[in-house]
Amino acid sequence: MDETPLPLTELLATDLDDGFTELVRTQAGTVRSVLLRLSGSARDADDLGQETFLRAYSALRDYSPERRGQLQPRAWLLTIAANVWRNHVRTLSRRPGVADGIEVTAIELPDGSPGPEQLALDGARRARLVAALSGLPDHHRLPVVLRHIGELSYQEVAGILDCPVGTVKAQVSRGLAALRAEPGLAADRGTHGAAGAAGAAGAKTATARTAHEAARTERKEATG
Amino acid sequence: MRLPDELDTLREAAPAGFAARVLDRVGVPAHRYDCYVRADSPVGPLYVAHGRGAVTGAAATDWYADDRAFEDAYRARTRRSALSGVKPPPGLARALRGRDRTLRYEFGPLADEQRAVLLATRAVPFGQLRPAAWLAREAGLPGLAPETVLAAVRANPVPVLVPAHRLCTDDGLPADCGLPPDFERRLREWEGVDAERVERFVRAGARFLGSGTTRIFCYPTCAHARRITARHEVPFTSADEASAAGFRGCLSCRPAVV
Repeated sequence: MDETPLPLTELLATDLDDGFTELVRTQAGTVRSVLLRLSGSARDADDLGQETFLRAYSALRDYSPERRGQLQPRAWLLTIAANVWRNHVRTLSRRPGVADGIEVTAIELPDGSPGPEQLALDGARRARLVAALSGLPDHHRLPVVLRHIGELSYQEVAGILDCPVGTVKAQVSRGLAALRAEPGLAADRGTHGAAGAAGAAGAKTATARTAHEAARTERKEATG
Repeated sequence: MRLPDELDTLREAAPAGFAARVLDRVGVPAHRYDCYVRADSPVGPLYVAHGRGAVTGAAATDWYADDRAFEDAYRARTRRSALSGVKPPPGLARALRGRDRTLRYEFGPLADEQRAVLLATRAVPFGQLRPAAWLAREAGLPGLAPETVLAAVRANPVPVLVPAHRLCTDDGLPADCGLPPDFERRLREWEGVDAERVERFVRAGARFLGSGTTRIFCYPTCAHARRITARHEVPFTSADEASAAGFRGCLSCRPAVV
């Protein structure tokens, strides 16, 4: 669910340019972060982010004011972003000569003033997490990124991926399990060693599990 | 730290200029929004917002939890969006060094009289202090109540650049201009206001200082008054008293209608 205050959708309905400016101001960070974790390269994230907002604007221009007023801005933008990214991947696979995005994320410069929560995660560990995330297969990475970086609900992710909610929950929990199983991440996960091992075991036996069970594990971990 | 929380930390603000590039490419005209930059000043890092060729706001970065908090406060005050930009307005660095020649200001939704007072504030020279009555007179509103002047100065949306910290009370003590006290004190210190000397004149009840050699009187912080040697200092409690003693007002600091 969006916590965006109501005025944003009202603005979009009454004054498109002003509303769109606010939309970019409040959502640019999320959209770009999602694309950055999907593509793994800052340059691609910039380009795809531009593309996403360009499409969003032309779509909004054709919407009626009522329809603009009923938008869920973040979910709607991330739907566009996911489509833009999938198109980008398809284009890359059609043109194998084009080099893949360079791994800029590995040498990401920390921004000028990391917030308190960013300080809590030291640079080396963050880099390992980023690397592990970009190592996930697409069908796990997309749901994990949309759910945990895009902060969408399972229903919204299911809407974007066009599959049942249970499937999304399973994909997200398997994706997280795979991340926990990463040796680089499990190493300094002191108290979480047990959880990590359980996650890894879960990943191995995931094929034998029903989606329902996986979802239950996810819920348990979410409350833990 | 749990994994989902760690993933949360991967959500970061877009780089400076990203939002403005998006709007530029989409075709939203640049006059529909403002940009802000972080600039280093003698009193620590500041946010400086600007748009349509004028500076529209300033604040110390540590008054806000993060960039988003500043943007939200800016939006609430001006009803305009501020996006993080990369280019400071031309002349900003020089203005922050105390030589503000070229900057234009746009104060947002303020009453006309407040606007006039804030523009008059810009006429107080670096490192000097002026009382509310002087500001009202310079703003062309001599009848304005001191409370109104003080309220206007406290509503200053561009602290540091528009020098509201150069306001003093009627007896000459630096006035509280609505900024954190420590911040005001550092600003005045950096500008070289000699607090000890100011207090000495206030204790003596001297609101004006004349020179026995030139027969001219000034505000005590005026550059000319600071050059008067101790044995030629002639303190006055009012402009009338100085006039009666045959002194005329200084043409730089204009202590009375000259």
